[in-house]
Amino acid sequence: MTLERNILLALGVLAALLPFAVTDQYVLHLAVMAIFYAILANSLNLVVGYVGEFSLGHTAFLGTGAYTAALLSVNAGWPMWAAVPAAGVVAALFGLAIGAITLRLQGPYFVIVTLSFAEVLRIVANNWIGLTNGPMGLAGVGQGGIADKTVFLAIVLGLAAVTFYLSYRFVYSNAGRAAVAVRENRYVAQSIGVNPFGTAMQAFVLGAFLAGLAGGFYAFYISFVGPEVFRFSFMATIIIMVLMGGKGTLLGPVVGAVIVTLLEEYLRELQELRLSLFGLIVMAIVLFLPNGLMGFVARRREQRGDAPSLSPAIEERTV
Amino acid sequence: MTALRMTEPLLRAENLTMRFGGITAVKQVAFAVAPGEIVGLIGPNGAGKTTCFNMLTGFYAPTEGRVFFKGTDITSHRPHAIARLGLIRSFQKTNVMKRLTVFENVLTGHYMEGRQSLLATFFPGEKVRRAEREARESAAAIVETMGLSRRMNAPAHLLSCGELRLLEVAVALAAKPTLLMLDEPAAGLNSHEAMLFGETLKTLIGKAVQSLLIVEHNMELVMGVCDRIVVLNFGQMLAEGEPREILDNPKVAEAYLGKAAA
Repeated sequence: MTLERNILLALGVLAALLPFAVTDQYVLHLAVMAIFYAILANSLNLVVGYVGEFSLGHTAFLGTGAYTAALLSVNAGWPMWAAVPAAGVVAALFGLAIGAITLRLQGPYFVIVTLSFAEVLRIVANNWIGLTNGPMGLAGVGQGGIADKTVFLAIVLGLAAVTFYLSYRFVYSNAGRAAVAVRENRYVAQSIGVNPFGTAMQAFVLGAFLAGLAGGFYAFYISFVGPEVFRFSFMATIIIMVLMGGKGTLLGPVVGAVIVTLLEEYLRELQELRLSLFGLIVMAIVLFLPNGLMGFVARRREQRGDAPSLSPAIEERTV
Repeated sequence: MTALRMTEPLLRAENLTMRFGGITAVKQVAFAVAPGEIVGLIGPNGAGKTTCFNMLTGFYAPTEGRVFFKGTDITSHRPHAIARLGLIRSFQKTNVMKRLTVFENVLTGHYMEGRQSLLATFFPGEKVRRAEREARESAAAIVETMGLSRRMNAPAHLLSCGELRLLEVAVALAAKPTLLMLDEPAAGLNSHEAMLFGETLKTLIGKAVQSLLIVEHNMELVMGVCDRIVVLNFGQMLAEGEPREILDNPKVAEAYLGKAAA
């Protein structure tokens, strides 16, 4: 718990110092994207890793957030500091509505229905030309505003700080333990007074809110939002990050986000082969590192006998 | 307190009936558990004991009949709502959170004491921190009561069968039950372990819990621990009474051992 927090803080400081060491806009862009993905992967991990239900519809919240921010900016001229939090709130409301339906389902049913919601939203975004401008998308989000990548880096770091503060508090609280109880054993959870639906809902809505923030940021950063924010390939990227890093840990998705962002960039030359390679990587992870890199590290430490606990959610206190 | 209240049993089952399609698993079962009492629910395999447990704790909605806990009708309430009233159960097939350690399992069991608003989750004040500290201390104490201190930091999936049984009770105790219901808590224990387990259970009464309701096959344990025993056979009440009476009851011997032995 403390170790995880300290590593996250150290990573944050490192990222904050980056602009002083590097002025290359391309490198800064990669850093911004990695942090953006870290927020996104973390928000998905709250559902996948802590409640234990596999959502394939997380782009619903990313997309809602992105569109909210874009519409507020383009149509109403809202500045970024107002539009991004609004994006989070709207996504959270969508989370509440979608969660109220999907969280009554478990296993494959949950997977399918969440996926359907994201697809439906994509179709709406594609066809509601009056609102979303259809496949053309909304261009010129936050136009004439920030152009400097360093400023964007500072903003995304601020969002990451909010994200990880909220996630950390949630995961290591009584509510987080309840979520883990639901993940580990629904019956035991109920028998100790945990309402599985209510607990899952908290994590789901928190995840939606954070994904919405990330989406809002994305809209301003790219300054364009089209229906592809709802696309499954986006979803696949986030899932790979969470699985590769290790679901059910706070650090895992961050590690996954950094690795995948860099891989995506450097495998770009391979064009279409890139996706096939990703497929192979995912298969390898599922086969050899089912708990991701963090799970692997935790197990190694446990075997050496200096890590008291493998379980991600609850700390060991040295009294 | 009125005289009526004083005699009100902690748990009362009235006319409980459960039908699954054409099969009647439990038929018109009625019994009560008074404060301070250890009641055993016994019967041959398939007698409907676990079905009764599930109806009492909201995991099944009874086809007919009512359940009262502390005088409140809790029939068909949702399981977590019943748990929050202080009626905590364990499960027949060992049910713990396998990937968490012993300590974490028991700590998680303290959920109800530590319930808090989302705001308090994100911005914990002194109150939340104190609750957290108390939960940790209480968890350590419960682990010790159940004799699992040595295994405090072991992941639950590494425990032996007997230890798992103890852990299961420890998790249930963490939820601070008024009435604790244990479904075959001694299954898989050898007779010596079962005896020690029985002694541990007796010490809980009046301290950790008010009353116990136990489903168990180990007769030595049941006879040694229970104040009163309810016998089920083919879903119906066969007998009810003190251990001595039950042992001497020819109908009970017949249900367990067949006619020739009776």
